[in-house]
Amino acid sequence: MNSAALPDPQAWRAAAAARPELFQALDEGARIGLIARSAPAQMLVWEAAAGGPGACLATFPGYANAGVDLLMAANDSALGDIVAVARNGLFDVLRAGIRSGEVVCYMLRRRCDLEALGYEELLEALGFAFMGACR
Amino acid sequence: MRSGEQKLPHLFQPGQFGRFKIKNRIKYGACCVSNYNTRDGFITERELARVKVIADTGCGIITNQGAYPDPLGEGKAYFRQVAIYDDKFLPQFEKIAAMIKDQGAMAIQQILHAGRYGGIDLGYCVQPSDVPQTLPHFRPPKIMTTEEIRDCVRQHADAAKRCIRAGFDGTEITSFMGYLLANFNSRFTNQRTDEYGGSIQNRGRFMRELIDGIKQATPDNPLIVRLNGAELMDKWGGNTEDECFELMQQAVDCGVDMISVTVGWQEAPESSIGRDIPPGYWNYLSERAKKTFPNTLITFGNRLPDPRMANDCIRDGVFDFWEVCRPLLADPELIHKAAEDRLDEVRRCVGSLNCLSRLFRDLPYTCTMNPALGHEVEPEYHVTPTTVKKKIMVIGSGPAGMECAITAAKRGHEVTVFEKTGRIGGNLYAYAANDLARPDDLHSIIRHYEAVAKRVGVEIRLNTEVHAKFMRSVLHQYDVCVVAAGATIDHDSHCTVEGHELMIDALDVAHGRVKTGSRVVIVGGGKIGLTVGESLRKNGAEVTVVEREKRIAGDIKPSFKWRHASWVDELGIRCLTSSRPTRITTDGVTVLNDKGEESFVPADTVLLAASRKPAHDLLHEFEWMVDELHGIGDAVVPRGLEQAIQEGFRLGVRI
Repeated sequence: MNSAALPDPQAWRAAAAARPELFQALDEGARIGLIARSAPAQMLVWEAAAGGPGACLATFPGYANAGVDLLMAANDSALGDIVAVARNGLFDVLRAGIRSGEVVCYMLRRRCDLEALGYEELLEALGFAFMGACR
Repeated sequence: MRSGEQKLPHLFQPGQFGRFKIKNRIKYGACCVSNYNTRDGFITERELARVKVIADTGCGIITNQGAYPDPLGEGKAYFRQVAIYDDKFLPQFEKIAAMIKDQGAMAIQQILHAGRYGGIDLGYCVQPSDVPQTLPHFRPPKIMTTEEIRDCVRQHADAAKRCIRAGFDGTEITSFMGYLLANFNSRFTNQRTDEYGGSIQNRGRFMRELIDGIKQATPDNPLIVRLNGAELMDKWGGNTEDECFELMQQAVDCGVDMISVTVGWQEAPESSIGRDIPPGYWNYLSERAKKTFPNTLITFGNRLPDPRMANDCIRDGVFDFWEVCRPLLADPELIHKAAEDRLDEVRRCVGSLNCLSRLFRDLPYTCTMNPALGHEVEPEYHVTPTTVKKKIMVIGSGPAGMECAITAAKRGHEVTVFEKTGRIGGNLYAYAANDLARPDDLHSIIRHYEAVAKRVGVEIRLNTEVHAKFMRSVLHQYDVCVVAAGATIDHDSHCTVEGHELMIDALDVAHGRVKTGSRVVIVGGGKIGLTVGESLRKNGAEVTVVEREKRIAGDIKPSFKWRHASWVDELGIRCLTSSRPTRITTDGVTVLNDKGEESFVPADTVLLAASRKPAHDLLHEFEWMVDELHGIGDAVVPRGLEQAIQEGFRLGVRI
């Protein structure tokens, strides 16, 4: 899969703008990435900024150097769903994807660090407040 | 042979494990680290007292909880986990091995390197590859070099030798729930390109080297390996079930003596051992293992809490040994009760996962059902005969009241429980009636109380409400009054809402005393509101939950919040958070959110499930009417099942 399978950055920015309450507490520079799990060549990134979250495509340099706080890796079918709803209902689809296993959400920082960066609302929207060991 | 043993002949038949004769087919599994020990890995008196209880469970094989094998603590998964990387730890391990063997059981020590879930005191964890965490409380990964892998194998072999020197009969290594061994085996976490990664043969190399290393170090002692029959990680690129069985084949070919079949990883997107999984659900994995490896002993017990089911499984060739842990946390006398045909008295593990929820908050494990767990070293928690026999009245037959009544009666007190309805159980009955997960587990608690109350001679007076007039009629007949009358929905909290008189009490609906229409608004998105709402929605009603707080499920255990959140999504229950009702009519509810936006939700029934009010009025009324007056459970502060049982027990042991 190539970057065409990822949502359009403009749609991605609009999706974030539609849910300002999830992003407004984020420190400037907080970054969330999305990759296609089957072929992670490129990464779509939300980055918190003073004027609201921006979105851009970047080369995916591997997990260790991804430079994001959260990284969502979507299966092909889930990515199709994400692209389809990028402008409306995105977070419900992301949460459902994470819950069903179609989207792996990697945490590149520990929970305490994420909360210090203002991720509480976003983690909540993604369903992470409710996840735990062994279910 | 005792009567229960005759009924469960396969479970209680002797077995053979290597050169060791085993008195029955029950293995105590090292499923939970206790977190009772010191931060630097030494075993404490608290742990030794707990192990004494474990040794007395009656199991034929007992596996002591996992000890990490490396001095850096890369393998350390839990805050107060024990260590076995040095001889300095041996004296306490010797005591544990002796305690187990003194009770006629085979003693196994588990060696646990947590890999991806380890390094709890470090800033990193070690893994075969750089695969980030999916749960944010674990540490970022550091890739193991080939030399580090070989060191790790040596550390396991040294630890195994130490276990045998301490007096254990055998050792166990574990890939349970995604520890280091699982990390190497799994395609999800092993993306190496050297001889330890790639093909399944290469991914299994670390396991084979571990088995070889330990077998060479301890040639006369059996080795058990815990391996996933299913990782439940395949959607994330983990192993398929077929691959899991290929890895088991490698272990068998390496000469491992017993395979413990397990299910799932801690981070798996599917549930494996929670109370939403029916007992017996995973048996097919064990059955496949036994059929595939008929000459290797198989032990299994994931979500298999019932000795009768275990007996049938052994009879049917599903496994050789029943591996059980959590049910023995809930009731350490389970095996003895089974042997004596007293299964109706068993306190069943209801899968609340309180134990794990606490471990991952760095707390010692406790059990919702067993209030003495973790307090074995404290005489204050022991049920001892009373020196002054008292007549005790307990008001309310919910978990708090029944726990207190039974504990006090066991000590020799004369106890009468007064229950205003026609059945015992209190609001637990209503919870069970609406629960979508495993209602029978919750009903089993009530059945347990009925059976044990009868055995210990607690008198239960149903349909008897205790109020001031009643108290005057029994004045001076009782020495102690325990108010365990629970809590009610606090209607006063919403009395300023226009039309509040139209609201129905959610507990009345939960108990089946009132029926609802087909369009229901529930005010309050906590445990009661969600449980009732889910049940109504499942039965076809349209349900909207209005919650004042920013989030629903605020009073639900961390290990079960996700389940309610999933049900809300799956069932299509609408949730209006940060919102409150302002006007209620026969047509519906006007709702105002914290942004000042108003909306109207059509409804034919409005339930109130918001804040609860404890039965303090009884405590005030009876203050001058009885020598000792106590309150417990929700009657003091409305909370949940665990606190009700704990407080009932704590009062029962000290009256």
